[in-house]
Amino acid sequence: MAKTILAVDDSSSLRQMVAFSLKAAGYQVVEAVDGQDGLDKAKQQTVDLVLTDQNMPRMDGLQLIKLLRELPAYQKTPILMLTTESSDEMKSKGRAAGANGWLVKPFDPQRLIEVVKKVIG
Amino acid sequence: MTRKKILGSHVKRLMSGVADHGRQHLTEVETDLIQTGLLLEEAIEKLSFNFMAIHKAVEAEQATITQLLAGGEISEEQRTQLAALQGQVGGYVNAAITSLQFQDMTSQLLDRTLKRVTGLREFLSTMSAHGAEMLPDSDNEEIVDLLGKVSMALAVQSLELRSVLRKAVSQQHLESGDIELF
Repeated sequence: MAKTILAVDDSSSLRQMVAFSLKAAGYQVVEAVDGQDGLDKAKQQTVDLVLTDQNMPRMDGLQLIKLLRELPAYQKTPILMLTTESSDEMKSKGRAAGANGWLVKPFDPQRLIEVVKKVIG
Repeated sequence: MTRKKILGSHVKRLMSGVADHGRQHLTEVETDLIQTGLLLEEAIEKLSFNFMAIHKAVEAEQATITQLLAGGEISEEQRTQLAALQGQVGGYVNAAITSLQFQDMTSQLLDRTLKRVTGLREFLSTMSAHGAEMLPDSDNEEIVDLLGKVSMALAVQSLELRSVLRKAVSQQHLESGDIELF
């Protein structure tokens, strides 16, 4: 059965490109428009991996990770940040919040798929 | 210090504060717009290249496809070329996807610029509102008091504006970014 990835980003074009790339590699993709929407969708359906942006309205990526990690179903689920942010300070915050990896935009679809395969197979 | 000197020092502080604030924000606006221009230019260049490359790759195999559709036989070389088409096109599509992400980055830069311009307008409105309170026959003490209030209000606004304008996009090119697994 295909693994499911939750893609959280407030940019619709970015979500579209992430979904296009991941679906082409055989994954199912659930899209969310910001952190709050991501949290709601994650509660409705348990996913195998969360791929989230950082700067979003209503709830940012770091806050989303912290809240997901409080949920029993998401304590060990891989969470990757996909963001324009590239500073070491932000990466440290992501790591402390519970992120498992940091991908700086723009992403290359091939490399994204390689990372996702490495993380969830 | 005489009243005249005190007044002069307040005017100087206010003018230099306004100038510094304006200069800093306009410099950042300039930097963000230049960065936006660079990203847009590179995106258009790469997108044009990749779309043309897709067109050329498909066009190059068109004769073979037509031959096949007509029920004709194709050579081993044509078969190999046709089989490689998907990979070739896939590579160009991937490169186009990377370039298409200019929208996400430039929209963040433009949003930051817009917030900054709005903040500068509010800053000038504050000056204008306080300026209106200053009457032509005000005495020196009243003017000093008012100038102090304006300087304080502007300093607070300046700090507030800076706090919402953290730069989240430092990319100058549309090359794929770093990946780090923790």
